[in-house]
Amino acid sequence: MKLNVKVRRYDPESGKPPYWATYEVPAEPMDSALSLLLHIKWHLDGTLTFRKSCAHGICGSDAMQINGENKLACSVLVQDLVKGDGDTISFAPLPGSPVIKDLVIDQTRFFEKYRAVMPWLINDTPPPERERLQSPEEHAIIEDATKCIMCGACTHSCPSTWADPDYLGPAAMLKAYRYTFDSRDAGSAQRLPIVDSKDGLWKCYTIFNCVQACPKEIDITRWLSALKRKAVTAQY
Amino acid sequence: MAVETLERPPAETTEAPVYEDDARIVRYKIRTGMFAWMAHRLSGIAIVIYLILHVWGLKALTDRDAFNALIAGYHAPIFKIGEFLLLAAVAYHAFNGLRIVLIDFLGWSPKQKRLFWTLAAVTAAIIVIGGYPSIYAVVTYFTGG
Ligand code: HEM
Ligand code: SF4
Ligand code: FES
Repeated sequence: MKLNVKVRRYDPESGKPPYWATYEVPAEPMDSALSLLLHIKWHLDGTLTFRKSCAHGICGSDAMQINGENKLACSVLVQDLVKGDGDTISFAPLPGSPVIKDLVIDQTRFFEKYRAVMPWLINDTPPPERERLQSPEEHAIIEDATKCIMCGACTHSCPSTWADPDYLGPAAMLKAYRYTFDSRDAGSAQRLPIVDSKDGLWKCYTIFNCVQACPKEIDITRWLSALKRKAVTAQY
Repeated sequence: MAVETLERPPAETTEAPVYEDDARIVRYKIRTGMFAWMAHRLSGIAIVIYLILHVWGLKALTDRDAFNALIAGYHAPIFKIGEFLLLAAVAYHAFNGLRIVLIDFLGWSPKQKRLFWTLAAVTAAIIVIGGYPSIYAVVTYFTGG
Protein backbone atom coordinates (compact mmCIF):
# COMPACT_ATOMS: atom_id res chain seq x y z
CA MET A 1 0.00 0.00 0.00
CA LYS A 2 0.93 3.65 -0.34
CA LEU A 3 0.84 5.89 2.70
CA ASN A 4 1.00 9.63 3.22
CA VAL A 5 3.70 10.19 5.78
CA LYS A 6 3.57 13.59 7.45
CA VAL A 7 6.75 14.60 9.19
CA ARG A 8 7.22 17.60 11.44
CA ARG A 9 10.41 19.15 10.11
CA TYR A 10 12.58 21.82 11.64
CA ASP A 11 15.92 23.19 10.55
CA PRO A 12 17.39 25.57 13.14
CA GLU A 13 19.81 27.06 10.59
CA SER A 14 17.00 28.14 8.26
CA GLY A 15 15.58 30.43 10.94
CA LYS A 16 12.09 29.29 9.90
CA PRO A 17 9.53 27.75 12.23
CA PRO A 18 8.79 24.01 12.08
CA TYR A 19 6.49 22.84 9.30
CA TRP A 20 4.76 19.64 8.18
CA ALA A 21 6.22 17.90 5.13
CA THR A 22 4.30 15.09 3.42
CA TYR A 23 5.89 12.15 1.63
CA GLU A 24 4.31 9.30 -0.28
CA VAL A 25 5.82 6.07 1.01
CA PRO A 26 5.18 2.46 -0.06
CA ALA A 27 4.60 0.15 2.91
CA GLU A 28 3.59 -3.33 3.99
CA PRO A 29 1.26 -3.87 6.97
CA MET A 30 4.02 -5.62 8.92
CA ASP A 31 6.58 -2.85 8.37
CA SER A 32 7.61 -0.88 11.43
CA ALA A 33 6.90 2.84 11.58
CA LEU A 34 10.66 3.36 11.65
CA SER A 35 10.99 1.77 8.22
CA LEU A 36 8.82 4.55 6.78
CA LEU A 37 11.28 7.15 8.04
CA LEU A 38 14.20 5.11 6.73
CA HIS A 39 12.53 4.94 3.32
CA ILE A 40 12.23 8.73 3.25
CA LYS A 41 15.82 9.21 4.33
CA TRP A 42 17.25 6.69 1.88
CA HIS A 43 15.08 7.35 -1.17
CA LEU A 44 13.29 10.70 -0.91
CA ASP A 45 15.12 13.21 1.28
CA GLY A 46 18.48 12.47 2.86
CA THR A 47 18.30 15.55 5.09
CA LEU A 48 15.56 14.07 7.27
CA THR A 49 17.01 13.71 10.74
CA PHE A 50 15.97 11.29 13.49
CA ARG A 51 17.60 9.03 16.08
CA LYS A 52 17.63 5.25 15.78
CA SER A 53 20.07 2.52 16.48
CA CYS A 54 18.97 -1.03 17.31
CA ALA A 55 15.63 -1.00 15.47
CA HIS A 56 14.44 -3.66 17.93
CA GLY A 57 13.12 -1.80 20.97
CA ILE A 58 16.33 -2.14 22.98
CA CYS A 59 18.30 1.10 22.76
CA GLY A 60 15.40 3.48 23.33
CA SER A 61 16.60 6.09 20.86
CA ASP A 62 13.60 6.40 18.51
CA ALA A 63 10.76 7.49 20.78
CA MET A 64 8.69 10.11 18.95
CA GLN A 65 5.15 11.35 18.60
CA ILE A 66 3.38 9.13 16.08
CA ASN A 67 -0.25 9.87 15.19
CA GLY A 68 -0.49 12.19 18.19
CA GLU A 69 0.90 9.77 20.75
CA ASN A 70 4.40 9.01 21.96
CA LYS A 71 5.62 5.66 20.68
CA LEU A 72 8.81 3.84 19.82
CA ALA A 73 9.00 4.00 16.01
CA CYS A 74 10.76 0.63 15.65
CA SER A 75 8.26 -1.15 17.91
CA VAL A 76 4.99 -0.13 16.29
CA LEU A 77 3.69 -1.68 13.09
CA VAL A 78 2.08 0.11 10.16
CA GLN A 79 -1.00 -2.14 10.46
CA ASP A 80 -1.59 -0.82 13.98
CA LEU A 81 -1.45 2.80 12.80
CA VAL A 82 -3.54 2.84 9.62
CA LYS A 83 -6.49 1.03 8.07
CA GLY A 84 -5.25 0.90 4.50
CA ASP A 85 -4.04 2.47 1.29
CA GLY A 86 -3.76 6.26 1.17
CA ASP A 87 -4.01 6.70 4.94
CA THR A 88 -1.84 9.19 6.79
CA ILE A 89 0.73 8.64 9.53
CA SER A 90 2.24 11.63 11.28
CA PHE A 91 5.63 11.86 12.95
CA ALA A 92 6.63 14.69 15.31
CA PRO A 93 9.41 15.08 17.87
CA LEU A 94 8.64 14.18 21.49
CA PRO A 95 6.75 17.18 22.93
CA GLY A 96 8.14 19.09 25.88
CA SER A 97 11.86 19.29 25.11
CA PRO A 98 13.70 21.68 22.80
CA VAL A 99 13.98 20.37 19.23
CA ILE A 100 17.49 20.23 17.80
CA LYS A 101 16.50 19.25 14.27
CA ASP A 102 13.47 17.51 12.73
CA LEU A 103 12.62 14.61 15.06
CA VAL A 104 15.68 14.96 17.29
CA ILE A 105 15.11 16.51 20.70
CA ASP A 106 17.64 17.81 23.20
CA GLN A 107 17.72 15.09 25.88
CA THR A 108 20.04 16.98 28.23
CA ARG A 109 17.32 17.85 30.66
CA PHE A 110 15.80 14.37 30.54
CA PHE A 111 19.08 12.79 31.59
CA GLU A 112 19.76 15.46 34.21
CA LYS A 113 16.54 14.40 35.86
CA TYR A 114 17.58 10.76 35.56
CA ARG A 115 20.87 11.40 37.33
CA ALA A 116 19.13 13.53 39.95
CA VAL A 117 17.36 10.49 41.46
CA MET A 118 20.66 8.63 41.97
CA PRO A 119 19.88 5.70 39.67
CA TRP A 120 22.45 3.34 41.15
CA LEU A 121 22.65 0.91 44.05
CA ILE A 122 23.38 2.65 47.34
CA ASN A 123 24.73 0.22 49.92
CA ASP A 124 27.75 0.86 52.11
CA THR A 125 27.93 -2.58 53.71
CA PRO A 126 30.97 -4.57 52.57
CA PRO A 127 30.11 -6.58 49.46
CA PRO A 128 29.84 -10.33 49.96
CA GLU A 129 32.38 -12.61 48.30
CA ARG A 130 30.13 -13.11 45.28
CA GLU A 131 27.08 -10.99 44.39
CA ARG A 132 24.47 -9.43 46.68
CA LEU A 133 21.67 -11.97 46.48
CA GLN A 134 18.04 -11.22 45.82
CA SER A 135 15.21 -13.77 46.01
CA PRO A 136 12.79 -14.17 43.09
CA GLU A 137 10.05 -12.74 45.34
CA GLU A 138 12.12 -9.66 46.09
CA HIS A 139 12.92 -9.25 42.42
CA ALA A 140 9.25 -9.53 41.46
CA ILE A 141 8.58 -6.23 43.26
CA ILE A 142 10.84 -4.30 40.89
CA GLU A 143 10.79 -6.50 37.80
CA ASP A 144 8.26 -4.41 35.82
CA ALA A 145 10.28 -1.25 36.53
CA THR A 146 13.59 -2.83 35.49
CA LYS A 147 12.29 -3.18 31.92
CA CYS A 148 12.67 0.56 31.27
CA ILE A 149 14.94 1.45 28.33
CA MET A 150 15.01 5.23 29.01
CA CYS A 151 13.36 6.13 25.72
CA GLY A 152 11.60 9.17 27.21
CA ALA A 153 8.20 8.44 25.66
CA CYS A 154 6.57 8.62 29.09
CA THR A 155 8.15 11.79 30.46
CA HIS A 156 7.41 13.63 27.21
CA SER A 157 3.77 12.51 27.23
CA CYS A 158 3.10 13.99 30.65
CA PRO A 159 1.15 17.28 30.92
CA SER A 160 2.98 18.00 34.18
CA THR A 161 6.30 17.85 32.30
CA TRP A 162 4.94 20.10 29.56
CA ALA A 163 3.83 22.66 32.14
CA ASP A 164 6.92 22.45 34.36
CA PRO A 165 10.23 21.63 32.66
CA ASP A 166 11.80 20.97 36.06
CA TYR A 167 9.27 18.28 37.02
CA LEU A 168 11.27 15.05 37.39
CA GLY A 169 8.74 13.13 35.33
CA PRO A 170 7.77 9.45 35.14
CA ALA A 171 11.01 7.98 33.74
CA ALA A 172 13.26 9.43 36.45
CA MET A 173 10.84 8.64 39.26
CA LEU A 174 10.32 5.11 37.97
CA LYS A 175 14.09 4.69 38.40
CA ALA A 176 13.76 6.05 41.92
CA TYR A 177 11.13 3.36 42.55
CA ARG A 178 13.30 0.68 40.97
CA TYR A 179 16.20 1.36 43.38
CA THR A 180 14.23 2.35 46.47
CA PHE A 181 12.25 -0.92 46.34
CA ASP A 182 15.33 -3.02 45.51
CA SER A 183 15.93 -5.34 48.50
CA ARG A 184 19.70 -4.72 48.16
CA ASP A 185 19.47 -0.94 48.26
CA ALA A 186 19.88 1.14 51.42
CA GLY A 187 19.60 4.61 49.92
CA SER A 188 15.99 5.60 50.54
CA ALA A 189 16.99 8.23 53.11
CA GLN A 190 18.92 10.00 50.35
CA ARG A 191 16.63 9.26 47.43
CA LEU A 192 13.20 9.86 48.95
CA PRO A 193 13.72 13.58 49.69
CA ILE A 194 14.55 14.10 45.99
CA VAL A 195 11.27 12.64 44.74
CA ASP A 196 9.28 13.92 47.74
CA SER A 197 9.81 17.51 46.62
CA LYS A 198 8.07 20.26 44.72
CA ASP A 199 9.48 18.94 41.43
CA GLY A 200 8.62 15.37 42.31
CA LEU A 201 5.85 12.89 43.05
CA TRP A 202 3.13 15.36 43.99
CA LYS A 203 2.90 16.73 40.48
CA CYS A 204 1.76 13.32 39.28
CA TYR A 205 -2.02 13.70 38.83
CA THR A 206 -2.52 10.08 37.69
CA ILE A 207 -3.19 11.16 34.11
CA PHE A 208 -1.89 7.84 32.71
CA ASN A 209 -0.40 9.30 29.51
CA CYS A 210 2.92 7.75 30.57
CA VAL A 211 1.47 4.25 30.93
CA GLN A 212 -0.28 4.61 27.58
CA ALA A 213 2.97 5.70 25.93
CA CYS A 214 5.44 3.23 27.43
CA PRO A 215 6.63 0.77 24.74
CA LYS A 216 7.54 -1.72 27.47
CA GLU A 217 4.01 -1.56 28.89
CA ILE A 218 5.26 -0.66 32.34
CA ASP A 219 2.49 0.35 34.74
CA ILE A 220 4.43 3.47 35.72
CA THR A 221 1.57 5.08 37.66
CA ARG A 222 1.27 1.99 39.84
CA TRP A 223 4.91 2.22 40.91
CA LEU A 224 4.83 5.99 41.37
CA SER A 225 1.80 5.52 43.64
CA ALA A 226 3.81 2.99 45.67
CA LEU A 227 6.63 5.52 45.88
CA LYS A 228 4.15 8.21 47.01
CA ARG A 229 2.94 5.93 49.81
CA LYS A 230 6.51 5.18 50.81
CA ALA A 231 7.43 8.89 50.80
CA VAL A 232 4.47 9.65 53.07
CA THR A 233 4.83 6.71 55.46
CA ALA A 234 8.61 7.20 55.77
CA GLN A 235 7.92 10.44 57.61
CA TYR A 236 5.70 8.98 60.32
CA MET B 1 32.13 11.69 41.63
CA ALA B 2 28.62 10.62 42.36
CA VAL B 3 27.83 13.91 44.01
CA GLU B 4 28.62 16.26 41.15
CA THR B 5 26.16 14.48 38.82
CA LEU B 6 23.39 15.58 41.19
CA GLU B 7 23.76 19.20 40.19
CA ARG B 8 20.70 19.92 38.10
CA PRO B 9 20.77 23.30 36.37
CA PRO B 10 17.40 25.03 35.88
CA ALA B 11 15.58 24.34 32.63
CA GLU B 12 16.27 27.51 30.65
CA THR B 13 19.88 26.56 29.79
CA THR B 14 19.02 24.73 26.56
CA GLU B 15 15.71 26.33 25.68
CA ALA B 16 14.90 26.50 21.98
CA PRO B 17 12.26 28.87 20.61
CA VAL B 18 8.67 27.77 21.19
CA TYR B 19 6.34 28.07 18.23
CA GLU B 20 2.68 28.87 18.32
CA ASP B 21 1.25 25.62 17.02
CA ASP B 22 3.24 23.72 19.62
CA ALA B 23 0.09 23.65 21.79
CA ARG B 24 0.53 20.03 22.81
CA ILE B 25 -2.69 19.61 24.68
CA VAL B 26 -4.49 20.17 21.36
CA ARG B 27 -2.21 17.87 19.44
CA TYR B 28 -1.81 14.96 21.86
CA LYS B 29 -4.34 12.14 21.68
CA ILE B 30 -6.73 12.27 24.61
CA ARG B 31 -7.32 8.87 26.23
CA THR B 32 -9.37 7.91 29.28
CA GLY B 33 -6.81 9.09 31.83
CA MET B 34 -6.17 12.51 30.34
CA PHE B 35 -9.89 13.07 29.79
CA ALA B 36 -10.60 12.14 33.41
CA TRP B 37 -7.93 14.55 34.62
CA MET B 38 -9.03 17.48 32.44
CA ALA B 39 -12.65 17.03 33.47
CA HIS B 40 -11.55 16.75 37.11
CA ARG B 41 -9.63 20.01 36.99
CA LEU B 42 -12.43 21.83 35.11
CA SER B 43 -15.08 20.58 37.54
CA GLY B 44 -12.84 21.48 40.51
CA ILE B 45 -12.40 25.03 39.25
CA ALA B 46 -16.12 25.28 38.44
CA ILE B 47 -17.03 24.26 42.00
CA VAL B 48 -14.62 26.83 43.45
CA ILE B 49 -16.22 29.55 41.31
CA TYR B 50 -19.66 28.40 42.42
CA LEU B 51 -18.56 28.44 46.05
CA ILE B 52 -17.35 32.04 45.78
CA LEU B 53 -20.66 33.15 44.20
CA HIS B 54 -22.60 31.17 46.77
CA VAL B 55 -20.84 32.70 49.78
CA TRP B 56 -21.08 36.14 48.21
CA GLY B 57 -24.85 35.61 47.80
CA LEU B 58 -25.15 34.78 51.49
CA LYS B 59 -24.32 38.42 52.28
CA ALA B 60 -28.04 39.00 51.74
CA LEU B 61 -28.75 36.95 54.89
CA THR B 62 -28.37 40.13 56.94
CA ASP B 63 -31.54 41.53 55.38
CA ARG B 64 -34.81 39.55 55.26
CA ASP B 65 -36.34 41.15 52.19
CA ALA B 66 -33.11 41.11 50.21
CA PHE B 67 -32.67 37.42 51.01
CA ASN B 68 -36.20 36.51 49.97
CA ALA B 69 -35.74 38.43 46.71
CA LEU B 70 -32.50 36.58 46.07
CA ILE B 71 -34.10 33.17 46.69
CA ALA B 72 -37.00 34.10 44.41
CA GLY B 73 -34.49 35.02 41.72
CA TYR B 74 -32.97 31.55 41.97
CA HIS B 75 -36.18 30.08 40.54
CA ALA B 76 -35.35 31.54 37.12
CA PRO B 77 -34.58 28.90 34.47
CA ILE B 78 -30.97 30.02 34.12
CA PHE B 79 -30.38 29.02 37.74
CA LYS B 80 -32.15 25.70 37.20
CA ILE B 81 -29.67 24.98 34.43
CA GLY B 82 -26.87 26.15 36.73
CA GLU B 83 -28.18 23.84 39.45
CA PHE B 84 -28.04 20.94 37.02
CA LEU B 85 -24.48 21.79 35.91
CA LEU B 86 -23.42 22.13 39.55
CA LEU B 87 -24.78 18.67 40.31
CA ALA B 88 -22.98 17.28 37.26
CA ALA B 89 -19.68 18.93 38.26
CA VAL B 90 -19.89 17.83 41.91
CA ALA B 91 -20.99 14.27 41.06
CA TYR B 92 -18.20 13.85 38.51
CA HIS B 93 -15.58 15.46 40.75
CA ALA B 94 -16.52 13.34 43.75
CA PHE B 95 -16.53 10.01 41.90
CA ASN B 96 -13.39 10.68 39.90
CA GLY B 97 -11.81 11.89 43.15
CA LEU B 98 -12.68 8.49 44.60
CA ARG B 99 -11.05 6.88 41.56
CA ILE B 100 -7.83 8.84 42.13
CA VAL B 101 -7.85 7.89 45.82
CA LEU B 102 -8.25 4.19 44.94
CA ILE B 103 -5.42 4.43 42.41
CA ASP B 104 -3.02 6.23 44.74
CA PHE B 105 -3.85 4.62 48.08
CA LEU B 106 -4.81 1.07 47.09
CA GLY B 107 -2.69 0.71 43.96
CA TRP B 108 -5.65 0.21 41.61
CA SER B 109 -3.71 1.63 38.68
CA PRO B 110 -4.08 -1.54 36.54
CA LYS B 111 -7.88 -1.18 36.77
CA GLN B 112 -8.03 2.55 36.07
CA LYS B 113 -9.93 2.38 32.77
CA ARG B 114 -12.59 -0.03 34.02
CA LEU B 115 -12.84 2.04 37.18
CA PHE B 116 -13.38 5.17 35.10
CA TRP B 117 -16.23 3.68 33.07
CA THR B 118 -17.86 2.06 36.10
CA LEU B 119 -17.81 5.28 38.09
CA ALA B 120 -18.84 7.27 35.02
CA ALA B 121 -21.98 5.10 34.79
CA VAL B 122 -22.75 5.71 38.48
CA THR B 123 -22.12 9.42 38.00
CA ALA B 124 -24.40 9.56 34.95
CA ALA B 125 -27.17 7.78 36.88
CA ILE B 126 -26.87 10.25 39.76
CA ILE B 127 -26.91 13.21 37.38
CA VAL B 128 -30.00 11.93 35.57
CA ILE B 129 -31.96 11.03 38.70
CA GLY B 130 -30.80 13.96 40.84
CA GLY B 131 -30.98 16.47 38.00
CA TYR B 132 -34.48 15.47 36.91
CA PRO B 133 -36.29 18.14 39.01
CA SER B 134 -34.10 20.94 37.63
CA ILE B 135 -34.56 19.86 34.03
CA TYR B 136 -38.27 19.29 34.61
CA ALA B 137 -38.59 22.84 35.97
CA VAL B 138 -36.79 24.29 32.94
CA VAL B 139 -38.91 22.29 30.49
CA THR B 140 -42.21 23.27 32.14
CA TYR B 141 -41.08 26.88 32.21
CA PHE B 142 -40.50 26.95 28.46
CA THR B 143 -43.50 24.83 27.54
CA GLY B 144 -45.60 27.23 29.58
CA GLY B 145 -46.76 24.48 31.98
C1 HEM C 1 -16.54 14.54 47.49
C2 HEM C 1 -15.76 15.57 47.55
C3 HEM C 1 -14.43 15.70 46.83
C4 HEM C 1 -13.52 14.73 46.49
C5 HEM C 1 -13.60 13.23 46.74
C6 HEM C 1 -12.42 15.41 45.82
C7 HEM C 1 -11.29 14.79 45.37
C8 HEM C 1 -10.23 15.43 44.78
C9 HEM C 1 -8.97 14.84 44.47
C10 HEM C 1 -8.57 13.39 44.77
C11 HEM C 1 -8.20 15.77 43.88
C12 HEM C 1 -6.76 15.59 43.40
C13 HEM C 1 -6.75 15.45 41.91
C14 HEM C 1 -5.46 14.93 41.37
O1 HEM C 1 -4.54 14.58 42.10
O2 HEM C 1 -5.39 14.84 40.14
C15 HEM C 1 -8.97 16.98 43.80
C16 HEM C 1 -8.55 18.16 43.21
C17 HEM C 1 -9.26 19.35 43.25
N1 HEM C 1 -10.46 19.58 43.86
FE1 HEM C 1 -11.59 18.16 44.74
N2 HEM C 1 -12.70 16.75 45.74
C18 HEM C 1 -13.90 16.96 46.35
C19 HEM C 1 -14.54 18.18 46.51
C20 HEM C 1 -14.10 19.38 45.99
C21 HEM C 1 -14.75 20.67 46.20
C22 HEM C 1 -16.01 20.88 47.01
C23 HEM C 1 -14.02 21.59 45.50
C24 HEM C 1 -14.21 23.08 45.34
C25 HEM C 1 -14.69 23.87 46.25
C26 HEM C 1 -12.91 20.90 44.89
C27 HEM C 1 -11.95 21.51 44.11
C28 HEM C 1 -10.82 20.89 43.64
C29 HEM C 1 -9.81 21.53 42.84
C30 HEM C 1 -9.81 22.98 42.37
C31 HEM C 1 -8.83 20.57 42.59
C32 HEM C 1 -7.54 20.77 41.80
C33 HEM C 1 -7.70 20.14 40.46
C34 HEM C 1 -6.41 19.64 39.89
O3 HEM C 1 -5.37 19.71 40.53
O4 HEM C 1 -6.46 19.14 38.77
N3 HEM C 1 -12.98 19.57 45.21
N4 HEM C 1 -10.22 16.75 44.36
S1 SF4 D 1 9.18 3.88 31.51
FE1 SF4 D 1 8.68 3.15 29.42
S2 SF4 D 1 8.23 5.08 28.29
FE2 SF4 D 1 9.33 5.70 30.15
S3 SF4 D 1 11.50 5.83 29.54
FE3 SF4 D 1 11.15 3.74 30.37
S4 SF4 D 1 10.65 2.45 28.58
FE4 SF4 D 1 10.43 4.61 27.92
S1 FES E 1 15.92 1.98 17.40
FE1 FES E 1 16.52 1.16 19.35
S2 FES E 1 14.64 1.24 20.46
FE2 FES E 1 13.99 1.78 18.46
